[in-house]
Amino acid sequence: MAEKEKWGIANIYSSFNNTIITITDITGAETITQWSGGKVVRADRQESSPFAAMEAATRAADDAREKGIVGLHIKVRAPGGNGPRTPGPGAQATIRALARAGIRIGKIEDVTPIPHDGTGRPGGKRGRRV
Amino acid sequence: MPTTEYLKIPRERVGVLIGKKGEVKQHIEKLSQTQLDIDSEAGNVSITPQEEMEDPLSAWKTRSIVKAIGRGFNPEISLRLLNDDMALVVIKLNDYVGKSKKAIARQKGRIIGRDGRTRQIIKEMTDVDMSVYGKTVSLIGDLERLMIAKEAVEMILNGSRHKSVYAFMEKKKQDMKMKAFQETIQLK
Repeated sequence: MAEKEKWGIANIYSSFNNTIITITDITGAETITQWSGGKVVRADRQESSPFAAMEAATRAADDAREKGIVGLHIKVRAPGGNGPRTPGPGAQATIRALARAGIRIGKIEDVTPIPHDGTGRPGGKRGRRV
Repeated sequence: MPTTEYLKIPRERVGVLIGKKGEVKQHIEKLSQTQLDIDSEAGNVSITPQEEMEDPLSAWKTRSIVKAIGRGFNPEISLRLLNDDMALVVIKLNDYVGKSKKAIARQKGRIIGRDGRTRQIIKEMTDVDMSVYGKTVSLIGDLERLMIAKEAVEMILNGSRHKSVYAFMEKKKQDMKMKAFQETIQLK
């Protein structure tokens, strides 16, 4: 370690409709690059696919490496709140692609927002009526 | 650099996680390159990744495997989670039926069905594994199918008739077939 190794944070928001990757510096305040599934595929329904996530992740990794980042801590997040709390299909693919692109992976953390009893689920008392 | 994950599983499932003479535990540790520390009194499990493991996700995966075992799956099925495409979904019955013990027992019965018929049908039609345990229903499977199975279970919990749930799954199954068919055509 001649020079100081630069680490960053990869914030991965993975829902069932899209995957958004935001790479920031270690403070989390300065965004370095932002990629999403929607930027790499055409069809709306493929935005959340593992393939789109992988593609976005490799490009994000390229951008990050250009800025001299060698490793990333990872914060995975599902929609949370009163929505689903498990990360979507893109989350694992993203992390794997980042690792494969030659970026060191540090801590992996789940930062899904869990309400301490917040607003009610949609649908009302009698449920969703189709 | 990777860090330890902590998790709690029910006490009666600790035995399953460890297995006979620690067989299951060793097997999981070997496959996922992690170290499991189990407190059999309280059911606390800590997952520490071994040095220089290849897969950065292994601690994460192991966590879901341990969780699956804690949620009533047998170790064999839980280990399918090592596959990248597989995921675990835990549905809490409390979110749908409230706190009443009677209501939970009733809904569990509805999900399982007479002699496990409904459970069997959900498993077969959507190709996922299912476990009804305690206050939860857990599903393991391919993400797309998992969503169908989850919706089916939610439909039952929201009071749909079994018949309409089966019809729903049948329809989804057809849709998926069509989609796969169209994709193969496009590829050619």
